[in-house]
Amino acid sequence: MSGELLLQVTVSGLTNGFLYALIGLGLAVVYKGSAIINAAQGDFAIVGAIVTVLFTQSAGMPYWVSIVIGVMAAALLGGLMEVACIRPMLRLKASEESILLATVGLTFLIGAVVLVVVGKAAYFLPPIGGEAQVQVGSATLQRHAVIVVAAALLVVAALAAFYKYTHLGRSMVAASSDADGAVSIGINVPLMRTFTFMLGGLIGGIAGVLQTPLIGVSFAMGIAITLKGVAATVLGGLVNPMGAVAGGLIIGLAEALAVFLFNSGYQNVVTMGLLIVIMIAMPNGLFVTARRRGG
Amino acid sequence: MDRSLLPDSVRAGSASTRHSGGRGLALVLTCVSLAAAPLLLSVHYVDLLVFAALLAISGLGVGFLLGQAGIINLAQVAFYGIGAYATAHVTVAWNLPGLLGLLLGVVISAAFALVMGLPLLRLSGHFLALATLALMVIVTQLFFEWDWLTGGSLGIGGIPKISLFGWTFDTPMKFYYFAWPIALLCFWMLSNIADGRPGLAMRAMRDSPEAAEVMAVDSTALRTKLFVLSAILGSISGSLFAHYVGYISVESFTLERTIVMIMAPVIGGVRNPWSALPGAIFLSFLPELLSPLGEVYRILFGLGLVLVIILFPQGLLGIANWRRVK
Repeated sequence: MSGELLLQVTVSGLTNGFLYALIGLGLAVVYKGSAIINAAQGDFAIVGAIVTVLFTQSAGMPYWVSIVIGVMAAALLGGLMEVACIRPMLRLKASEESILLATVGLTFLIGAVVLVVVGKAAYFLPPIGGEAQVQVGSATLQRHAVIVVAAALLVVAALAAFYKYTHLGRSMVAASSDADGAVSIGINVPLMRTFTFMLGGLIGGIAGVLQTPLIGVSFAMGIAITLKGVAATVLGGLVNPMGAVAGGLIIGLAEALAVFLFNSGYQNVVTMGLLIVIMIAMPNGLFVTARRRGG
Repeated sequence: MDRSLLPDSVRAGSASTRHSGGRGLALVLTCVSLAAAPLLLSVHYVDLLVFAALLAISGLGVGFLLGQAGIINLAQVAFYGIGAYATAHVTVAWNLPGLLGLLLGVVISAAFALVMGLPLLRLSGHFLALATLALMVIVTQLFFEWDWLTGGSLGIGGIPKISLFGWTFDTPMKFYYFAWPIALLCFWMLSNIADGRPGLAMRAMRDSPEAAEVMAVDSTALRTKLFVLSAILGSISGSLFAHYVGYISVESFTLERTIVMIMAPVIGGVRNPWSALPGAIFLSFLPELLSPLGEVYRILFGLGLVLVIILFPQGLLGIANWRRVK
């Protein structure tokens, strides 16, 4: 009996892990492209999910169309955030601390907008792929969970290909790794940073749409989501977006174990404790590369 | 442009000496207007000013950390909560005087800040800020889970008004004349620290850690001491809050609270230790001014916070010097 429960908990922990991985991936993409930790990353997820909810439940649009609109809205929010907030701050040579503080302020602001628009309630979306169940050994899970895993892996693969093979992706890498060099070969560095934030928003929006059928969405969730993503991405190594997937899975499993051993109230305590320990003990993540960056 | 070539600590030093004449006057004017305010204002505004005093005390702690040592502390609401729950527990469950609750809160907060600060303060920049945020999430979650101690979401009510030497501070007016002198005393002590040799060491550490180490500044010890000091101020503020409102629950200790605490000095202009004072008054009155708008006030409030961070890195106190610097 207990073994079955453990399997069930492990499977749901892995599903959550892929969600944290996606949030972490968004954070890592923004960090890679701008050396900024975006405390409002979790709010991309909220905005993506809430916009999807509004279009599918209030406007009555088909689910898939609403998802596309929701994810696009999160991407646009990312672009807007860069243009309206990050760019002027960089121009005024603001410190690392004040930029982080500004993104913390943005969390509050976006949360307030969501609160005013939809209120305090938690919203859910129908599971993608219907209510069907899938059997894994003795554990059952929704088909939605399988789609979460598949979507996360797809995003990872698409991102890797984007950075490696497309002109835009390579320009974005160039703009962040050597801004002066990038300017000299005609790359618009601020524009690349805007694209970086849009990409962060896009990935965040996808994560939001995927999480909402499982845990729902409400206005104040942003910072908790961000912090779990931070835990995933720091564990995986900040400059290595793919590491976030491994980090997310470890965090998801650790949480599941904590719920199994104590109770669900200690889920956040364990994750945040783990985050602190990871940052102190392994600031470069699990996969330390020769270049020491990101610590 | 030439000013920006100077090390920040030198600029901060010259800024404080340049205004030393006007500063005493500003201080006297502040004290006089604060002393006279309750006589002129209605009880409602006196009440807001009491909350401003509480915010100023906890904001002073985080503002001092950020402005003098470059440490973002987003965990202040945790220490605020520890102070509040210590007071509630000592006065309600044990039926002992409020002063003991305040002291117990200070002792627990200081010890906790020391134990957490030693490992956490090895981090810097982004990681330190995120670690304090994680610490805040842990502590507020524990407030929620340990309902045998904190009452959870039901909270603890019936906290008596604080009394000293047979004098009970049971009206907003009386509490005002209790809280503000404490606040001003804290400000006076910390601005003295900032003006003295420790302040110089802190700013040197903030602007050039390696150079400060060479000049025999023990950064780890100094940062830890400051973190503990900030936690003590947070705890005092929390204890006073518990006495003033008489009822506390987990709803009082949220992310929003911790953001407001760090925004008070940031809005005031964080490099000046006194910045939390105008910032706290501003932040206490702003929601009140915007509240007729309903929930929309939260959007304007958030927008205002973000705009101030982006446009006025020097804060409200900096606006006066703005033309001069340009």
